[in-house]
Amino acid sequence: MSDLQTEIKNLIIEALGLEDMAAEDIAADLTLFGEGLGLDSVDALELGLAIQKRFGIKIDAEAKDTRQHFANVASLAAFVASKQAA
Amino acid sequence: MTWLPLAELLLQPLAGRAVALEPALDHAQLQQRALRMAGALQARGVQRVALYLEDAGELAIALLGAWRAGVAVLLPADAQAQSRQRLSEQTDLWLDSLVDLDGEPLAPAALNLDTCSLTLCTSGSSGEPKLIDKSLRQLANEVDALEQLWGQDLAGATIFGSVAAQHIYGLLFRVLWPLCAGRPFWRRALPFPEDLQRESLGQPAFAWVASPALLKRMGDNLDWNALGVVRRVFSSGGALPAEVSVELGAQLGQQPSEIYGSSETGGIAWRQGGELWQPFPGVKLGLNDEGALRIASPYLPAGHIEQSADAAELQADGRFALRGRLDRIVKLEEKRISLPMLEQALLNHEWVADARLGVIQEGRAFLGALLALSPAGLHALRNRGRKTVTETLRKHLAGHCEAIALPRRWRLLLELPYSSQGKLAQSTVDELVAAPRPTRVEPRKAELVDGEWQLELDVPPDLAHFTGHFPQTPVLPGVVQIDWAQQLARSLIEELPPRFCGMEVLKFQQLVRPGDRIQLTLRFDAERGKLYFAYRNGEAPCSSGRILLGAMQ
Repeated sequence: MSDLQTEIKNLIIEALGLEDMAAEDIAADLTLFGEGLGLDSVDALELGLAIQKRFGIKIDAEAKDTRQHFANVASLAAFVASKQAA
Repeated sequence: MTWLPLAELLLQPLAGRAVALEPALDHAQLQQRALRMAGALQARGVQRVALYLEDAGELAIALLGAWRAGVAVLLPADAQAQSRQRLSEQTDLWLDSLVDLDGEPLAPAALNLDTCSLTLCTSGSSGEPKLIDKSLRQLANEVDALEQLWGQDLAGATIFGSVAAQHIYGLLFRVLWPLCAGRPFWRRALPFPEDLQRESLGQPAFAWVASPALLKRMGDNLDWNALGVVRRVFSSGGALPAEVSVELGAQLGQQPSEIYGSSETGGIAWRQGGELWQPFPGVKLGLNDEGALRIASPYLPAGHIEQSADAAELQADGRFALRGRLDRIVKLEEKRISLPMLEQALLNHEWVADARLGVIQEGRAFLGALLALSPAGLHALRNRGRKTVTETLRKHLAGHCEAIALPRRWRLLLELPYSSQGKLAQSTVDELVAAPRPTRVEPRKAELVDGEWQLELDVPPDLAHFTGHFPQTPVLPGVVQIDWAQQLARSLIEELPPRFCGMEVLKFQQLVRPGDRIQLTLRFDAERGKLYFAYRNGEAPCSSGRILLGAMQ
């Protein structure tokens, strides 16, 4: 598990008030929204803001693949890494 | 006993008809004093009077006198300086004694049911007092209905009240209804069970106008056998716990007759045990779109329909069950969530003894649950861990609500912190669910015996330390036990040296788990600088040792 993935897991727990969760409870491929972790659209908004703030990146409002980046922790980590590299 | 309609109470002097006791007042005296007071009020040109009279007999005189004089009456909820100040603009006289009000008596006359009025003060939910106007007709309709329902049972019983007569329930049940029925009422309210017993047993027959505050605290040294002749026990003003009703039923041979109502509506319904409420005669009920009770009643102004915030389920036979307050509906990100409904769903789980939900606003708004665990719930927590408990309850709730309403934060307690009036304010719940999980403990008691402090502690079921120690079987870490011993000793023993220098003869013999009630003894040997501590669970030693303390370096 990469450090970035762990950081994102902790960010999810912190930003969304998931007090009883630990980073190891969130598998990198666990679906975050809807089924799986059971987060909703408001959580997605909160998480989007938290990610942008923490990693100093911008999520392109026009891009069609934003939804896919937020599918799970692995895809989010890949997205953050690519933005940071850019 | 002849029934006198409320409007006709001042028509004839009826000597020998009892009105009030201690001291005794008969109807002829009542009429005479009311008419003289009416004369005095008219002579002074009073238009609106505020009455604050703890003596129900004096209150009866003042009410009838004011109404006869065409003076509007306001009944303040309390006599605090602030209330007097606030109400002073709306009244031209505040009376807490009738001593100086004696004028030329007005002639006996019937009271006009539609022009005589009464204004009640009640504490609104916002904290601002709310004023509620009633005509004499509304009050007369309600008193008539009460007599139809219970007049025969009560017959000539003396009426004792534990509640003030300034509020709608006490006013109707302790004063106006007995006045019309010719039943004597005790002037002073008797809020303590011993007084109520003593005075009741001095009367040939008696009935009680009580409230849950008294009925929950009757104690066990009353003469239940003698009190069993009570004609009826009324209860209103708040919810009477079902187990109290059943217990009183066993002790007195009858369960209390509970009255459900409000200052606005007067009585709505009654029940004697059981869950279902029977509406009073003439009361028509419906539900609004949200399932809250809507009331049309002869005790409301004609044509008025009162919308309550009480959720209810109506039965085919006209009775209904109450389902909590709907004003405890919160909006989470534009979605309406009924807290009572979710609390009820939580209560249906065998691990939950009591539940309240609060809203936490951190980034986004979400719910937190404050739970008192049942014995089965505590067992699950101790043997399967906190996460199993909260996850299981989340899954249980998932069948009842949308995902957005699932609590994200859980605070597990042994019991919910109700006030002595049985209330738990929403603001308190919100604070408790937002607070971090505890790391410390408050002793239940602490006694100094022969130089040794003996404490009793309930280990909080929700200690923050339990999460990692251990996830499936939470136990109180030894280091926390040592920390608590030192902290508690510092709060009890003055001049404990500030510096921790080490431990001696540390022994851990038995695990301490969530919800355990344990004993801790503390003794400080000042000469050697050693704090002796020992934890026990009943007879079984849990841990012990000495903490070495020294002066600041």
